[in-house]
Amino acid sequence: MRPHASLWKRARIREAGTALLFLLPLLVLVVALIVYPVYRAVWLSLTDKLVGYPERFVGLKNYFYLAEDDTFHQVIKNSFVFTVVSVGLKVVTGVLMALVLNNVIRGRNFFRGLFLLPWITSTVIIALTWRWMFDAFPGRGFFNSVLLDLGLLSRPIAFMATPEGAMMAVIVANWWRGFPFFGVSFLAGLQAIPRELYEAASVDGATAWRRFWHVTLPGLKHVMIVTTLLSFILTINDFNIVYVMTRGGPGTATQIFATYSYQVAFNQLRWGRGVTICLFVVPILVLGIILISRYLLRDKK
Amino acid sequence: MPDQRISRRSLLAGAVGTSALLTLPKPAAPAVKKGTSLRLWILKTYVEPTNKAIEASAQRWAQKHGASVTVEYFTFEDMQTKYVAAIENKSTPDVGQLETGAPARFSGMGQLMDLTSFARQIEGQVGKPPANVAPVTMVGDKIYALPWYVMAGFWYVWRDVFEKGKAKLPNTFEEAKQAAAALNRPKDNFYGMGQSWNRTSDGYGVMQSLMYSYGASWAGKDGKYKSLKTPQMQAAMKWATDIYKDGIQPPDTLTWTGSGNNENFIAKNIAQTSNGPSITFALENALAKATDAKDRKAKEKALANSVALPHPAGPDGRRMWAIAMSFGIFKSSRDPEASMSLIAHLLSPEETVAVMKDSYGQFAPVMDKARAASKDYFNKNDNYRTFGRAAEWFVPTGYPGPVTAAAAEVQASNVLTDAAAKVIVDKWSVDQAIDWEDKKIKEIYDTLRG
Repeated sequence: MRPHASLWKRARIREAGTALLFLLPLLVLVVALIVYPVYRAVWLSLTDKLVGYPERFVGLKNYFYLAEDDTFHQVIKNSFVFTVVSVGLKVVTGVLMALVLNNVIRGRNFFRGLFLLPWITSTVIIALTWRWMFDAFPGRGFFNSVLLDLGLLSRPIAFMATPEGAMMAVIVANWWRGFPFFGVSFLAGLQAIPRELYEAASVDGATAWRRFWHVTLPGLKHVMIVTTLLSFILTINDFNIVYVMTRGGPGTATQIFATYSYQVAFNQLRWGRGVTICLFVVPILVLGIILISRYLLRDKK
Repeated sequence: MPDQRISRRSLLAGAVGTSALLTLPKPAAPAVKKGTSLRLWILKTYVEPTNKAIEASAQRWAQKHGASVTVEYFTFEDMQTKYVAAIENKSTPDVGQLETGAPARFSGMGQLMDLTSFARQIEGQVGKPPANVAPVTMVGDKIYALPWYVMAGFWYVWRDVFEKGKAKLPNTFEEAKQAAAALNRPKDNFYGMGQSWNRTSDGYGVMQSLMYSYGASWAGKDGKYKSLKTPQMQAAMKWATDIYKDGIQPPDTLTWTGSGNNENFIAKNIAQTSNGPSITFALENALAKATDAKDRKAKEKALANSVALPHPAGPDGRRMWAIAMSFGIFKSSRDPEASMSLIAHLLSPEETVAVMKDSYGQFAPVMDKARAASKDYFNKNDNYRTFGRAAEWFVPTGYPGPVTAAAAEVQASNVLTDAAAKVIVDKWSVDQAIDWEDKKIKEIYDTLRG
């Protein structure tokens, strides 16, 4: 071996060692906070772990059980309705909020702060407030009181007594909490779109709608995809709003992944099955993340 | 070989000696080392004075023994979560207050100490629980917890409303439904009844009272699974769902959380509901805070008109599901002897009565000595006389069998109330709902280990 090659090799090893040393704290954090919990969750889903008992490997039994569980079928349906409708509403209102704020010259920061209030308020407070708003208790529920006072109703409406009404109520609460995040993100995206594009479109005779369709929306595309993906993940894993407002009821009408998982894991003490409920959604989310990442990277190229 | 025969004299001497030893007063409670420190977990209820009274009682024990007690609370909401986390993290308290199903569940996990001999040891000091309550704390012939009180739901009715509507105060579920129909005035936002099948004890508790009183159950006397597909269950489920069909309840009843029935009853939106004595607490509290003579008169009237009846009976008798709270010692306890001493102190008739007096009737002692000592307290009025009898009508989860981990899981799975909701919300037939419920329950019994 030539001495030069040997020196070069030694230098590379030393360099790799130094790099590893710098990366070590991060690696430890990633292993401790991400890899191990995920491994543990996957392992628990393959066991019949009961609280207080050691886990026993049962293979895919929990997955097969849930595949046949009618309550879980309802949970999947509820979770997707809750998530898709909430996120859809947040996108629409987020765009509206961003467009309005983008055109407000005076007090833009004040309004931006004001709109952020729902997002920074405690979720439990939001859930309790919306529960009160939809309440059918005479003289207390906000909507019922207003409608009764205006003479539009003779008796209060039990908004949350039907499956559709209860789902609507939890969706509204989730939408209200989440739309400012969309609005602020979209506003940042809007401000990054070059003014010249709008001017060129105007010169070409584009109407406001066409400018929005052909300039604003394509300009917001990346922000929109990332925000929607993040919100989708947060919403499908939501717990507080549904638990505080309906406890998954009436019946199982608003039972979603997190609330059902909580019931099975903490009330029924079946941890293995409880963890499996939450893991069911992971492949869907991973697939979504992969598709969107590839799409974004392709666009970049 | 030495002579092994026993002379008459030595036999007599031995017998006298043994008798003398047996008649000597036994130590009522184990000794406590000075400076010992214990963690006690107790249930925090809506009735704040009770919580404070329990804490004060624990501190009296600590002061007496030169020890310290850290009292930590859990609520009905986070009871399971706290215990589950503690068990998995091996941070259980020394002494924990346990709800009905917990002794069976936790002892199966090997978490609780066997208190059989301790229970016998302090029997002279605190007495025995009644035969219907004792099984809550036992698995087989071993005792894993000592019962303290029963917290029952009662059937609250407005006497003036019933009198005005010429309806009979209900003794049976059927009479309650008939009275509800007679008193119903939906146009005035007043309804004959308010019974939610929600995920609180106001839902699954009443459902069990209803089922057991109709002779329906998912477990046999041996505690093993028994099919729920019976005419008795059909009748119980029919009652549970008919009250939603006939418009005799507020339309949002099914969505009430823990306080919905209290609020609607106190606001006089409904004629009758099931609830714990926290309604009496609220009405007595309101009276104590009356601002003037007129206000006082109105609040006195409200208190006098609120009548707490036992849960209605069914064709098979009156069986009231209730929460039986007991004390258990976790195996991880740093000082089991001191833990036993603390339990003996809390269960003593004097301390029990001291706590009970601040409970507004919610706290019905079960140990016979405490029950005897509390007679005067429960003689205050008709409502309190009813509260005082809670232990008499008590039946546990999984009746007529003993409380088992599987029975406790059936209750915790919400399947009992969800089945009714399937009929009310999803428009299933009663038979479909019972089939669904039965399948779920069987699966729990088939797959639960321990």
